[in-house]
Amino acid sequence: MSAATLSTGVSTGEISPKLGYAATLLIAALWMVPFIWMLVAAFNPESIGAGMASLVPSYIPTLANFHEAWASADFPRYGLNTLIITLGILAVQIVTITLAGYAFARLEFPGRTLCFYLFLLQLMLAPVVLIVPNLTTIAKLGLYDSLMGVMAPYFASAFGTFLMRQAFRAIPRELEDAALIDGASVFQRIGFIYLPLAKPSLVAFSIVSVTAHWNEFLWPLMVINSPDLRPLTVGLASFTRGAEGAQAWGVIAAGTLLVSAPLLIAFALFQRAFVNSFVSSGIK
Amino acid sequence: MTTTRRSLLAGAAFATSFALSPAFAQAPTEIELFFPVPVDGQLARDMAALIKEFNTAHPAIKATPVYTGSYDETLIKTRAAMKAGKPPAAVIMSANFLLDLKIEGEIQSMDALIKADGKSNDQFMGQFFDALHGNAVLDRQVYGVPFHNSTPLLYVNTDHLKEAGLDPDKLPANWEELVTTAKKLTKREGDRVTRWGMMMPSNYDYGGWILQALTHSNGGQWFNVDYGGEVYYDTPSMLGALTFWSDLVSRHKVHPAGVQAGGAVSSAFLSGQASMMLLSTGSLTHIRNNAKFPYKVAFVPKNVKNEVPIGGASLVIPAGVEGERRKAAWTLINWMTAPEKSGWWSRATGYFAPNKAAYDLPEMKEFLAKNPDAGIAVSQLAFAKPWFATYKTVPVRKAIEDELAAVLSAKKTPKEALVAAQKQADEIMRPYVEQTALKLPTN
Repeated sequence: MSAATLSTGVSTGEISPKLGYAATLLIAALWMVPFIWMLVAAFNPESIGAGMASLVPSYIPTLANFHEAWASADFPRYGLNTLIITLGILAVQIVTITLAGYAFARLEFPGRTLCFYLFLLQLMLAPVVLIVPNLTTIAKLGLYDSLMGVMAPYFASAFGTFLMRQAFRAIPRELEDAALIDGASVFQRIGFIYLPLAKPSLVAFSIVSVTAHWNEFLWPLMVINSPDLRPLTVGLASFTRGAEGAQAWGVIAAGTLLVSAPLLIAFALFQRAFVNSFVSSGIK
Repeated sequence: MTTTRRSLLAGAAFATSFALSPAFAQAPTEIELFFPVPVDGQLARDMAALIKEFNTAHPAIKATPVYTGSYDETLIKTRAAMKAGKPPAAVIMSANFLLDLKIEGEIQSMDALIKADGKSNDQFMGQFFDALHGNAVLDRQVYGVPFHNSTPLLYVNTDHLKEAGLDPDKLPANWEELVTTAKKLTKREGDRVTRWGMMMPSNYDYGGWILQALTHSNGGQWFNVDYGGEVYYDTPSMLGALTFWSDLVSRHKVHPAGVQAGGAVSSAFLSGQASMMLLSTGSLTHIRNNAKFPYKVAFVPKNVKNEVPIGGASLVIPAGVEGERRKAAWTLINWMTAPEKSGWWSRATGYFAPNKAAYDLPEMKEFLAKNPDAGIAVSQLAFAKPWFATYKTVPVRKAIEDELAAVLSAKKTPKEALVAAQKQADEIMRPYVEQTALKLPTN
């Protein structure tokens, strides 16, 4: 059946709205399965056992898993640390990628293309390779075991610079020229002409950045020693990474929900704005 | 926010040191202990409680427990911290990483510290079970102090035995019996298996260890105990062990195919979806607390002889830890491995206590009387050998674990897999071999 619908879709050369809708539903369902399982498992009184694999709840819901997960880690403090890390990184990134993006998009200087490609090359490096050199730098700067040390390597972003450069290049130069005639300085031109028009790209980048750093585990694990400075991921890991015990799935699910809930709620609240920004940044 | 808190802290620290420095009271020596959590989250809290107790008993030292992920992540973090010039004072390190760390010059010998306490190395190591010495004493020098150790163990659901008409007191002792029992215990509905007779974990770190246990039970050696540049992957004893595992999957059909993670194996056992499993003694407390059915444990069944590798972790002091910090780390290590604490940790986790004297304490005797399964785990130690440790242990281990995964998914025959694993392992160890065994006088 799916082959038949597919072939009609191909023959007309277009995807019919119905087919598109069905495909969206299918993909959404695939994405939802782990999340639904997490919800079902988190309220399961069993925590270990055969029933844990089920997607359909067959029990009286309990908050015991949340209680245990909450007690096992200092979630408010870890949450605050994660918030400081993600928002701190984002705040600095917005400044650096805007300025770098503007430089690559609009300023003429010798070796601009080469510089830009070198910058892009950084995207290809696996972060794990950089752990030791980055940590050495962090230690030399006196930032070992501090939140600043977790944030510092991410202050510049090759991906963000690329995104902003593309966005700025799509903005008609005439707008900037007009502002220039009115005597606007570089920063005024960026602030009043470029940034407002590149907002969708900026929002799209912010989402990617916040999710990435919210979920990051290995780098904070390397930098942070003090229990007080742990972010959520490292705190959560202390009870999900047990190698020799069985996994208490219910508690893990509850803990994961606690960790991801703030992000989920933020997405639910600002969903429309986010989707719009992705759509318009994608069209450009 | 950060800056305020940091500057506040710095201010406080400054004020404290200022207030105390002229007086005889010194600021406490600050040390960090890196620790992985190989069992469950409760133990991370237990560790914090343990270190707090230590700090109260030793006002001159302030130890901070630093949670560092899995065994492998602990190794990464320790190495990264050392390269960055911030070595932790002590680390609970997977026992089979010590040789590689020593070859790379990343951990220090404890001989001088032992001597300063007026003991010989033999006297010091004499506190611990003999089976543990191989992974801690390298080139006659002590590089690690055993903290918690394990061996693989056969866990059997005795309700399932009874249900299949088998004697619940007679557990499989050899491979023959293991297969016949597992066949009787496996339940099928048509083509679908609803209960597996036997399960063994094969994820990274665990798979290699279990395969080593089967190899030893088959009379094999796995690696050269005295030299870090040789493994015996492509040998008859290992071929027998790997073929046995693969037969359980494809010939006897009593073991699920593909890679099984340790947590999934114990979950299957606890939920009654697997009747028997090989798992670490380190899981004993977890199984005891969560099994809703009677179970028994036994030695790993043998084909040629009863023999298993040890597992677990030792305390090490990284290179570059000197002076007061080194002394403080030594105090902490001795405190943590003394009979009382060793026994307490053993009861909390299921790992056995490396310190033999722990078993003479009344609370331990009472515990063993109540939980005979813990006693069986300890008695298997008499048949235990060192855990495989080579130059670059982790990649050499992964070389065979990747092949093991291919065999369990029926993508390769055991012989092909072993030849490939041997070739890859030799390749990884070649730089070391060329610097040692093959470095010959040329003139």
